[in-house]
Amino acid sequence: MKAKKQGFITQDEWRRGLKALEANSLEKLQRALPALEREVMRPSNFKDFYAFAFRYSLTEERQKTLDIGSICLLLKIVLGSQFRPQVDSFTQYLQMQKEYKVLTFDQWMGFYQFCNEISFPDLNNYDDQLAWPLVLDSFVEWIRQKNN
Amino acid sequence: MGSQKKRNFQIEAFKHRVVVDPKYADKTWKILEHAIHEIYNHNASGLSFEELYRNAYNMVLHKFGEKLYSGLVSTMTSHLKDISKFIEAAQGGLFLEELNRKWADHNKALQMIRDILMYMDRTFIPSTHKTPVHELGLNLWRDNIIHSSKIQTRLLNTLLELVLRERNGEVINRGLMRNIIKMLMDLGSSVYQEDFEKPFLEVSADFYRVESQKFIECCDCADYLKKAERRLNEEMERVSQYLDAKSEVKITNVVEKEMIANHMLRLVHMENSGLVNMLLDDKYDDLGRMYNLFRRVPNGLSTIREVMTSHIRDTGKHLVTDPERLRDPVEFVQRLLDEKDKYDRIIGSSFNNDKTFQNALTSSFEYFINLNPRSPEFISLFVDDKLRKGLKGVSEEDVEIILDKVMMLFRYLQEKDVFEKYYKQHLAKRLLSGKTVSDDAERSLIVKLKTECGYQFTCKLEGMFTDMKTSQDTMQGFNSAHGADLGDGPTLAVTVLTTGSWPTQPSITCNLPTEMLALCEKFRSYYLGTHTGRRLTWQTNMGTADIKATFAKGQKHELHVSTYQMCVLMLFNNADRLSYKEIEQATEIPASDLKRCMQSMACVKGKNVLRKEPMSKDIGEDDVFFVNDKFTNKLYKVKIGTVVAQKETEPEKQETRQRVEEDRKPQIEAAIVRIMKSRRVLDHNNLIAEVTKQLQSRFLANPVEIKKRIESLIERDFLERDNVDRKLYRYLA
Repeated sequence: MKAKKQGFITQDEWRRGLKALEANSLEKLQRALPALEREVMRPSNFKDFYAFAFRYSLTEERQKTLDIGSICLLLKIVLGSQFRPQVDSFTQYLQMQKEYKVLTFDQWMGFYQFCNEISFPDLNNYDDQLAWPLVLDSFVEWIRQKNN
Repeated sequence: MGSQKKRNFQIEAFKHRVVVDPKYADKTWKILEHAIHEIYNHNASGLSFEELYRNAYNMVLHKFGEKLYSGLVSTMTSHLKDISKFIEAAQGGLFLEELNRKWADHNKALQMIRDILMYMDRTFIPSTHKTPVHELGLNLWRDNIIHSSKIQTRLLNTLLELVLRERNGEVINRGLMRNIIKMLMDLGSSVYQEDFEKPFLEVSADFYRVESQKFIECCDCADYLKKAERRLNEEMERVSQYLDAKSEVKITNVVEKEMIANHMLRLVHMENSGLVNMLLDDKYDDLGRMYNLFRRVPNGLSTIREVMTSHIRDTGKHLVTDPERLRDPVEFVQRLLDEKDKYDRIIGSSFNNDKTFQNALTSSFEYFINLNPRSPEFISLFVDDKLRKGLKGVSEEDVEIILDKVMMLFRYLQEKDVFEKYYKQHLAKRLLSGKTVSDDAERSLIVKLKTECGYQFTCKLEGMFTDMKTSQDTMQGFNSAHGADLGDGPTLAVTVLTTGSWPTQPSITCNLPTEMLALCEKFRSYYLGTHTGRRLTWQTNMGTADIKATFAKGQKHELHVSTYQMCVLMLFNNADRLSYKEIEQATEIPASDLKRCMQSMACVKGKNVLRKEPMSKDIGEDDVFFVNDKFTNKLYKVKIGTVVAQKETEPEKQETRQRVEEDRKPQIEAAIVRIMKSRRVLDHNNLIAEVTKQLQSRFLANPVEIKKRIESLIERDFLERDNVDRKLYRYLA
């Protein structure tokens, strides 16, 4: 729908979205929903969706970061079905640590890449000398320390 | 019939019809054979060269060259066989002598025979590809004498035995040896090599193997090396005296291998006498000997270098981590300089100024100096000490030498920016207290730092010097403008510091005494009158004061004190006793500074212008202070609490370290932006590498810190990550 503000859908946005779905009745909308869900789950689309989820959650004009609480909730919704263990572990870490009070968009996207590329929970192919955001370096270190 | 043949007119050579006496050849040969006998029997004087030559000439001419040649071969061979028996029969030492004599004879004979048979040598022999006379003579000698079964082995053994005797210290007949060896060489290089050189080398290897084993068990390293050197020289001399020059490199290789290469590690690590001990005791000769010997063998020098390097690193590591040594920074640095001098001398006198050794020394120092994070601070303190008093009375050249040595240590530092911070602090104190021994020395050091690190490093330091000069001018202006007003009041000397150039100081509260307030205000308005748009803040923690004091018994003294101390003392003009709390309230000086200042006036012998109750060393909240009526000092002028640069306390150190870290952040960011601006797109690892390289001359950048800065720059939209490959960064214009 390309809705601009989280929690708010303008009438225009609503109209535009439903027109794209070709749903002009409630039944058609209902039928369209499962297809939509499948659509979203396609990896090429999912990344966009994932990015959108972050930006959509920014409520203020100039806001560029999301507080930890919102991040945790959002992760559960968006990635919870695909990457349950990573999401659980990361949210636990975020809530426990004190250094980061918010996460940036760059860190948000970094976590998605992390889930896709890094084997979990062994983390064998994680190299902190690479370009991973520092918050993930600290996260991995925390896991490794816990396991020892 | 009747063909008319045209006949060519021919002139035919006149043929001399010689009577070919069938016995001619035999007769002629008999003459020559006889001559050869005579020659060998030392009866050549009775022969006519001309006649013999003619006979040989004729034989060849009349196609009897073959007979002549084969006759020569068999005659000479039979003579040689006789000679061989003669030589074989010689006893003991005469063997070689006889061989030598007979060889000389043979050569003489050969020469004469060759002369007689020269025509055959020049015509018949080349055309029939036979061996020329002289060479034939040598070959026959070789085959019949040298390679005769009874002589060959005996000759070799005799020669080798003589060499062995000489190696064991006996004197042998070198002239004889030389002749015999030369004989072998004349007979052909393969004869020399097979019949002498090869066995000689083998036997020598065995000899030196045994000897070196014996020596290494009973000698210490230096002695062993002396012996090895001696043997080496001996062999070289032997070659020059009586062997083929080409043998020199071969025999020296044998000695080098057996005596040096095989025992290299054992020698170097020998307890109590090995390389490390030599280094510790500055044994220049022994070290030089070791260097010269080891450079001859593969890995010799690298072995020495490795052991030296690890030794220096170890000693260095202990030096910089030993708490005893760290108590006195000046001594600590001096010890480092001494260590460097020591090894410079060793490398200079014993190791031929070998560049690889110098590099090893440099890298060792770089390694251990940076093990102690306080090294930059200590080096700055060392310089501070020198510039305050250490260089007093030292000649200009010596000053340069010391400063150059300090620069050398500076170059080894990884965290040059930490040094800069401390240097600035110490320089500030020196300048403000007027305690520098030589302005020239100060400037000279700044120039050296500029050469090493560039203008950036020193421009602020130079600013400090400028401020000092400008302040003098300002004071002149102030005094001439207001001098008359001051009259008998206190005099003021102000140094105006440009904020950016001097070490940052937090602004501290301090209430100046009323006696000073008016004067200070006068200066402030004077200055601001001539410099608009500026703001002045009194730096009370950096000032000093000279106060005239009169004590109860009439003693008068002039006290040189810090500004804080002045504020405290002036209070006693209006009160006889003051409690700590009262002083604190009146002056508003921060507690830690105030306590230190009170301590220096009440608890230090000879400087106790104040008396404290109770008399404890520490300052308590409830302490009470009085002027010390019993104060005495031999001198009229008394210095109390000079502001000297000292080793930082733990909390101060933490603070400085933090400030350095803070200063590094913008430098890292600037480097990142510079690099990204020029490259546009760059991957993570390369970016880290480039940034580290750029900052290398100031400090070693921490990759985690660089990562933090990158992320911060992404946040602020200076950079972005590539959408597809998140390892790549892109510069955002």
